[in-house]
Amino acid sequence: VNENFVKTIELGGELEISRKAEIREALQRSNEDRAVLVDLSEATYADSVALTELLRFCVEAQRDSVSVALLICTPQLARVVQYAGLAAAFQTFDDRNAALKYLSERVAR
Amino acid sequence: VSGASELRLRCPAQSRNVAPIRHALAAFLEALQFDRSLRDDVTTAAGEALANVVEHAYACSGERSGRDLTLLARVARGGKLCVDVSDRGSFLRRKPLPGRGFGLRIIRAIAGRMRIDTSRGTCVSMTFRTATRRSKS
Repeated sequence: VNENFVKTIELGGELEISRKAEIREALQRSNEDRAVLVDLSEATYADSVALTELLRFCVEAQRDSVSVALLICTPQLARVVQYAGLAAAFQTFDDRNAALKYLSERVAR
Repeated sequence: VSGASELRLRCPAQSRNVAPIRHALAAFLEALQFDRSLRDDVTTAAGEALANVVEHAYACSGERSGRDLTLLARVARGGKLCVDVSDRGSFLRRKPLPGRGFGLRIIRAIAGRMRIDTSRGTCVSMTFRTATRRSKS
């Protein structure tokens, strides 16, 4: 899978209220980005503050026709997305290659 | 730690204190032999209640002192796990905004029962079913 066209943003550890500014700072993209992989594979926890930041990023990207995929590998994160009722709002994957394949197909359209 | 134990923590309502309280709650639940999945869910729900205190409880308060939060966790009769998160601030009843308000939604999805008492500050009382508690061996 060609990763060159995809910007990757890695967020790890506990994504929670005390890191709100750091999360917002990390979730940035440039005008050239056509697809973004938000790699949460090393994240062990996310609260609603972090989810709100992720949702804001995804909504703004969608508005600008930029595709976003979230790589989620921990059960807690997968469950909290469901609990928040955000399963339909995010494109989530537990496999990096599957996420990149999705993004490459979106960019090719 | 026994089934009759309780965990009571009080600290300033600051964002840097939320994670340490969650970690202490997780350790308490582990000592009580609750399984990993339940521990994660309970600490997630408690984390949302704690974050709500930090973000909203004292937002309209001019008073600088007494801005604290309290967490009380205990196993109640019948084996139910109860977690209360309380503050001495004001409860703001807001019109739901798009893209906000996930915290209470997460708590409701996890806790078998949630009650909000705003008579003296705000107390969010959560009750969790504990069927997945590990047996002691």
